[in-house]
Amino acid sequence: MRQLINALLKYKNTLLYLGLLIISLVFLNQRSFYHESIFSSVALTFSSKFNKAGKSVSSYLDLSNNNKKLIAENIKLKALELMDFTEKSDKVRVIDSFAFQVLGARIIKNSYNRARNYLIIDQGFKHGIETEMGVISSDGVVGIVNQVTADFSSVISILHRDLKINAGFKKNGAYGSLSWQGKHPKRMKLNDVSTLNPVMLGDTIVTGGMSDYFPQGIPIGKVFNFQKPEFEGYYDIDIELFSNLTQKEFVYILKNMKKGQLNKLKSE
Amino acid sequence: MNSDNLISIFQFFLLLLLQAFLLNNINFFGFINPNIYLLYIIVYRLDGNPTLIIILGFIMGILLDLLSQGSGGHTIATLTIAFIRPFIIRFSFGVNYDVPMGMIKGSLLNQRLLYLSMMVVIHHLILYSVIFSSFENIVNILKNTLFTSFFTFILVFVSLGLFKEKND
Repeated sequence: MRQLINALLKYKNTLLYLGLLIISLVFLNQRSFYHESIFSSVALTFSSKFNKAGKSVSSYLDLSNNNKKLIAENIKLKALELMDFTEKSDKVRVIDSFAFQVLGARIIKNSYNRARNYLIIDQGFKHGIETEMGVISSDGVVGIVNQVTADFSSVISILHRDLKINAGFKKNGAYGSLSWQGKHPKRMKLNDVSTLNPVMLGDTIVTGGMSDYFPQGIPIGKVFNFQKPEFEGYYDIDIELFSNLTQKEFVYILKNMKKGQLNKLKSE
Repeated sequence: MNSDNLISIFQFFLLLLLQAFLLNNINFFGFINPNIYLLYIIVYRLDGNPTLIIILGFIMGILLDLLSQGSGGHTIATLTIAFIRPFIIRFSFGVNYDVPMGMIKGSLLNQRLLYLSMMVVIHHLILYSVIFSSFENIVNILKNTLFTSFFTFILVFVSLGLFKEKND
């Protein structure tokens, strides 16, 4: 402290000079438009440089916030997109208007190399997640919620041998049930499609409207290979998924608002 | 408050008013206005309090700017010259200057001239640099500095005789 005071005393003239110089610069700035413009241009040059540097740092640090915002925006857009699907389609029987609420979540854990795969997401019943909600990603179906805690939920991945999803052809609505054989995380099988329906390689497969979990028309994949067995009435179709489930980060959870009504009807 | 201080205050306001109302309206050759108020900083006791002269220089400059509708050039120039005065004194009279009442007595003429001209030229250079504040006007800055310094120098040199009489 003493040293500080000594230093201050030693440099008091310089400090005084600098202080008064600042005052006179302010004075100059106040009195003369010309000098004001010079000061402001200098200030602008400096501040823009500093701002640029600061901005790059802060924007990097703010990436997670930005991600959250983008997810929120994506949720809205996804809802619109799904609404569009359901509105355009004239094959909607179960849902006559868009009855799904979209929630966003981040995948915490994802497995894809077992026979029965699960995901864990960072949203729980606190955030409105319930069991048996459909989970989709930006480009396809992910799975169905099966367990919920306060903050987390576990999701049965579609890469699960016991899960079957109602899916159909986009072109004509012929439907079957989609299941995973447990081999390749991008290949699934579509069973129970009648041989009455024409099938071509590359046909798009979408979710069928008969599931409570997903609205109709979410793209799943395309026909990769198919066989027509001689003595059976059903195709054996291999599907290649659009989405790569091994590198997903964000998912959307679909809450079916009219599930209560549906269940009531079913049980009657 | 002794008589020295009173005289000093009197000098301060005399020079200030003289500068603001008389010398700033000379416009010799259209642009030359000698800055006689610099005399106050020049004749301030060489061993006087350097902090005080900085404050006085600042007040002198800002009052002059206010009186003459200046932009603030006089403030910065006078403040700066008051701040670097000790360095100029050391440079002009040597490190071991021992002239309590200044260069009026007991110093060589060339030392005195060096001190005067450095004070005047540096002051004017700062003054016009601040007033013009741009590299495009470097010619104007130098021209103004040169001519005005010349006339200020003459005026200050002549006036020093008056101060000497008064102070004695």
